[in-house]
Amino acid sequence: MLLAFSDVQKRFGATHALRDVSGQIDGRAVGLLGPNGAGKTTLMKICLGLLAPDGGRVEVLGIDATRDPTAVRLKLGYAAEGPGRIPGLSGLESVAYAAELCGLRRRKALLRAHEMLDLVGLDESRHRPVETYSTGMHQRVKVAMALVHDPQLVMLDEPTSGLDPDSRDELLDLIVQLREGEGPAIVLSTHLLHDVERTCDSVMIMQAGTVKYAGTLDALQTRLPGEYHVRVASGRPALAAALRERGATVGERGRPDLLHVALPPNTDADLIWAAATASGDTILQLEQKAASLEEAFMAAVAEQS
Amino acid sequence: MSDTPFEGGDRVFEVGYRPMPDRGKRQPPAVAIARTMLTLAWRQRATKIVLLVCLGVLAGHGVWLVGQLLFERFGAEVGAAGMPVGELVGSAREVLANFLRVQFFTTAIAVAVIAGGAIAEDRAAGAFDLYFARPLTRADYAWGKLGGAGLVPFVTILLPVVLLWLTAIGIAPPALRSELWWLAVPALGGGILSVLVLATTIIGLSAVGQKARTVSIAYVAGLLVLSGIVEGLTNGGFALAGYIAPERSLHTVIDWLLAPEQSMLGSQVSGRYRPINHSVFGSLVALLGWAGAGFGLFWWRLRSEVVG
Repeated sequence: MLLAFSDVQKRFGATHALRDVSGQIDGRAVGLLGPNGAGKTTLMKICLGLLAPDGGRVEVLGIDATRDPTAVRLKLGYAAEGPGRIPGLSGLESVAYAAELCGLRRRKALLRAHEMLDLVGLDESRHRPVETYSTGMHQRVKVAMALVHDPQLVMLDEPTSGLDPDSRDELLDLIVQLREGEGPAIVLSTHLLHDVERTCDSVMIMQAGTVKYAGTLDALQTRLPGEYHVRVASGRPALAAALRERGATVGERGRPDLLHVALPPNTDADLIWAAATASGDTILQLEQKAASLEEAFMAAVAEQS
Repeated sequence: MSDTPFEGGDRVFEVGYRPMPDRGKRQPPAVAIARTMLTLAWRQRATKIVLLVCLGVLAGHGVWLVGQLLFERFGAEVGAAGMPVGELVGSAREVLANFLRVQFFTTAIAVAVIAGGAIAEDRAAGAFDLYFARPLTRADYAWGKLGGAGLVPFVTILLPVVLLWLTAIGIAPPALRSELWWLAVPALGGGILSVLVLATTIIGLSAVGQKARTVSIAYVAGLLVLSGIVEGLTNGGFALAGYIAPERSLHTVIDWLLAPEQSMLGSQVSGRYRPINHSVFGSLVALLGWAGAGFGLFWWRLRSEVVG
């Protein structure tokens, strides 16, 4: 299990940042998804031992994070959202320094730093001071710093924030490459649904300091019944009426021969065939469309709040 | 994975993420922290200038010491020319004591320039998350920063003291050599005390500051202003105020340790007047108090900003 939470609470003065956060999450790439202020960064900092929870228990890779944060940090890499840099050091020196802070010898740290900078695609600019870097270059350095000590799990806090589309694509490709290769497991904290959909296999949805959903993306999307696209040969209104009689929600937008059908709970496509038989219509094509992550996300947030 | 044939049968591999086959034994991160702190400081011109000044102080005292000992050795001929040796140069003790007193000030400027931003810059840049998201304890960080700050006075005070002492041993007349052997202990004692006070106080001030330059200026100016105020107070009859100024307490302890004789040349170099406190023990306690306050401030700041 990558992460396990049990009744985790954290307050900052009057603000309740985390309220009884509970859940378990596993997978090669996990999205920590939620709007700004949902408590994602607070939860990650508690996992790292950078913040102490007011109550509850946090386990990272099976280690109690509140009792032994140093053991957790040995197995965990973290790329913070903020600047988090040491002015005056070059990109290469920053990554090598991060490796040395994790206990690597200087020579090994430098070799590993070069390797990681190659991986994230930072070329000869690695020798320039970090304060001269663009946002994209800086994000790459932070990812390299998080990976340099070969952790089992990497936490990336909003890694695509402030990036132009090309840089964002490249960074997301890198995350996919890590997920599919021999890289560490990844926890990607973001408020961007698209980033999670593209890179992750599991997701933990947070809102206002609570967990709304924790599980695989597939399971999240199949929780919604989805929609059927029905192409009919003859007039659309007759079949639409028959479907509505049976409790389905029918949309008639788009092409004149196409119906968007959302079935009532606990029914399946047989209901559509029955309606077509009753109305005397011929179905040319019947296709099930899965709910988008956005729809599933909105539903997950809405159904429990 | 794709591979490209390479001349001679070797192959260059283009790989993705590669797990580390062997991490090796874990190294103490404090060494890397201290080295990085000093590396960054070395890139500033001010650091090189102030270290040159420290080197100049050492060179001046080296010349003074060598001159004195050469006159001791060949004094008979010089004395015959009408210049008594004892009035020409001070003793080796005086050179070492004076070196410690003068170098304390120049090193104070050096540590202010080099270590003023040691913690202040980390706080301003939000680098604490960068450090403590890694397997690093507060003690590792504290040792690293204290080690970096302490290395400056170690190099500018302690090593030169050893160097001056070795020089004295090397060129002193045989009769004087046996007396000089034991001089190392009090000289090193004074040096260690200087290192302790300078390293801890600059780190303490840096822990509460926000900008390196502000901390550096505040440190040097504070030392001078404090010295001036204390001078005025002690002259006005408040003798106890003398223990507040670290350099005055250090003078007291060094004078007690080295018991220097003041020569004519010595008085021209450092002046006839030597401000000292009444109690050596009180001065020692005051110096240790400064060191404790500096470290305490640093540790308090670290505890308040970083979870254990």
